[in-house]
Amino acid sequence: MRALVVYCHPCPESFNAGVLETAVTTLEAAGHEVRLRDLYKEDFAPAMSAEERRGYHDIDDNVKPVQKYVDDICWCEMIVFVYPTWWFGLPAMLKGWFDRVWVPHVTFTVPTATQGMKPNMQHIKRIAVVTTCGATWWVSKLIGEPGRKTIMRGMRALCAPVCKTLYIAHYKMDTSTDQTRARYLAKVKKRLSAF
Amino acid sequence: MRVLVLYAHPVETSFGASLHKQVLTSLAAAGHEIDDCDLYVEDFDPRLTREERIGYHDIETNCAPVAAYVDRLQAADALVIVTPVWNFGYPAILKGFFDRVFLPGVSFKMKDGKASPCLHNIKKLAVVTTYGGTRLRAFLVGDPPRKIATRVLRAVIKPVAPVAYHALYDMNRRTDAECTTFLGKVASAMEKF
Repeated sequence: MRALVVYCHPCPESFNAGVLETAVTTLEAAGHEVRLRDLYKEDFAPAMSAEERRGYHDIDDNVKPVQKYVDDICWCEMIVFVYPTWWFGLPAMLKGWFDRVWVPHVTFTVPTATQGMKPNMQHIKRIAVVTTCGATWWVSKLIGEPGRKTIMRGMRALCAPVCKTLYIAHYKMDTSTDQTRARYLAKVKKRLSAF
Repeated sequence: MRVLVLYAHPVETSFGASLHKQVLTSLAAAGHEIDDCDLYVEDFDPRLTREERIGYHDIETNCAPVAAYVDRLQAADALVIVTPVWNFGYPAILKGFFDRVFLPGVSFKMKDGKASPCLHNIKKLAVVTTYGGTRLRAFLVGDPPRKIATRVLRAVIKPVAPVAYHALYDMNRRTDAECTTFLGKVASAMEKF
């Protein structure tokens, strides 16, 4: 499959960078064609500008400021997100990628008086999230995992109706050890290669 | 009360801008002291940098890159957030405010890997927001932005402080009359804030 990997962490020496390496290697070993977007490295600007917001609903024109990113999501059949969960959600950088790139007409048809919202990204058949959380599993569940839901329910609704999902999290990052991290990387490898 | 108003919409002619103006007018009419933080006008950079991430847990120095925002947050007695919901989350510019300003030592303290909330100067919270999606769709998705307000932020501010969430859904199909009604509701909520 054509797999787009969207990576978001400011530190090249972070554990997340290791997770990314494992994810990419695993996907390639499984025979997927991988395209990587490293949002921090590319210095992506996450805040949608006033000009973009004004032209947000203009067919074709709304794609222009983010053409190459839109090309990515039109090209891929699978998206794998690798990011740290901050404040139970996506880092602003990654949230901005959704805000700016998943524009109307391309990714969905805007609802009208007679018709509801219609998804347009049916070519995306797999979404995986590989993330690290400071919180425990219990606290994450209690809060309701807003970040997970933004992607796995909100954005997934724009993809194929039977889009398969995979969510792999390392909880309690602040007290993680070499063992827990190694176990997590092994899990990422196993689950992603079977995905 | 000293109220910090966090506002996140780039377009000055938007309905979001009208909500923002209404919130400011009504809070002022109720006699509150307002600190209006318009994230777009102030050109807030929502990206947590590598340096900030490395120094994140050092409570002596972690505030330095955003010191002015930390001061404003800590000087406030209440917080009102005016924002659209985009893609079932807050706009990046607002999410980045939480990432960068809600730091260890400011909004929570870390002890043995556990976080304990400490933004106890905030004694009241309100969110005024609009969704493109319908209420039903937001419910099915699990309404992430509502959860951020009513669970995450609620947990961080003063215990049992009141939290209000004012939302208008299905914006693409709202009539002018419905928008005006919502503005009226927000006005009366802010006058009683």
